[in-house]
Amino acid sequence: MTIQIDPPAAAAIRAHLEAAYPEEGAGFLLGEVDGDDVRRVRDVLPIANARENGARRTRYLITPHDTVRADYEAEARGLEILGVFHSHPDVPNEPSAFDREWALPWYSYTITRVDGGKAVSMRSWRLTDDRERFIEEELISEN
Amino acid sequence: MPTLKIPTPLRPYAGGQASIDVTGGRVADALADLTARHPDLSRHIFNDAGELRPFVNLFVNDEDVRYLDGVDTPVAETDLLRIIPSIAGGTGRVDHSALRTNQAFIIILNILAFVLAQPALALAVTLVMLAGAVFRTPGFGFVYRLLLKPLGLVKPDVIEDNPEPHRFAQGFGAVVMAGGTIALYAGLGSLGWGLVWLVTALAALNLFAGFCVGCAVYYWLHRLNVPGFAKEPPTGSFPGMRPK
Repeated sequence: MTIQIDPPAAAAIRAHLEAAYPEEGAGFLLGEVDGDDVRRVRDVLPIANARENGARRTRYLITPHDTVRADYEAEARGLEILGVFHSHPDVPNEPSAFDREWALPWYSYTITRVDGGKAVSMRSWRLTDDRERFIEEELISEN
Repeated sequence: MPTLKIPTPLRPYAGGQASIDVTGGRVADALADLTARHPDLSRHIFNDAGELRPFVNLFVNDEDVRYLDGVDTPVAETDLLRIIPSIAGGTGRVDHSALRTNQAFIIILNILAFVLAQPALALAVTLVMLAGAVFRTPGFGFVYRLLLKPLGLVKPDVIEDNPEPHRFAQGFGAVVMAGGTIALYAGLGSLGWGLVWLVTALAALNLFAGFCVGCAVYYWLHRLNVPGFAKEPPTGSFPGMRPK
């Protein structure tokens, strides 16, 4: 399992998540599935965190309304939604139990650790079919 | 037959289909028909208790069934039923060093207030705790964030835990402190100092023994299905005890 993020898309992810700091930011990864389980992220769609004031430091929420809008947007750009990116401000970027509880299968979940307002590392995961755990996928992104 | 539209990430579990014709007079029947035909879908739509997973939203002809009759909403032959996910996640982690700094300051300042017989100090603690409750952060946590952590005097101790019970515990403590302070200014010394000592003792229990009474109360209210107390204790931890 590999996810390749085009450098401009990776830069857009970092910019959105650094701007959201100290709150969590999130958005959709748009791109193409390239043959055997290789995903290529061409573009991103940053989404405003819909959680209430105060909760946004440790949680993000994308509403069904935003999901539908993202579907249309992806289609208009000739891409598909490959997954979701979000940030973990000041804490390790491993998926939490809460991430797993809410995760959809198939999607790539790319988590960026943002320390003191600076994006320092990006890792990506997929939920197993039995929902028991996340498996890390190889992330390629040249700066 | 009503048509049910499947979101992209769930399609691999429905034979790759984007929409499926289903039978059933209500939303619940349509879902039962769907998962009977595609059993692998079931665990992504329902949890182990058979309830809808939190990210599953159901729409009948663009109307969220939450605002209709929920899963009992009728579906007519020509209706379009859609599963639209909401997406959520987050750290779900709590830096216990910030909590402990808060507790330590509450304990020290409350003891000083009592020893020096200074209700004003108790008032100050009350105000900081109330501000923390309003801004949903440990009241004295700023000392940790701005001073102790940057100077390396206190190391972060980030563990998987729910922030909500800790906020509730602090809010509860702030209310008791407010009661104590009002009593002190009203000249009811023993009642006032009694309440101040109660908060001090609970903060000490948390700081030294890792047991958060307010969090335990939160989880009891959760067990009683009181609205607003949605979080379960972290896996494998006793309600109120600091998770390992």
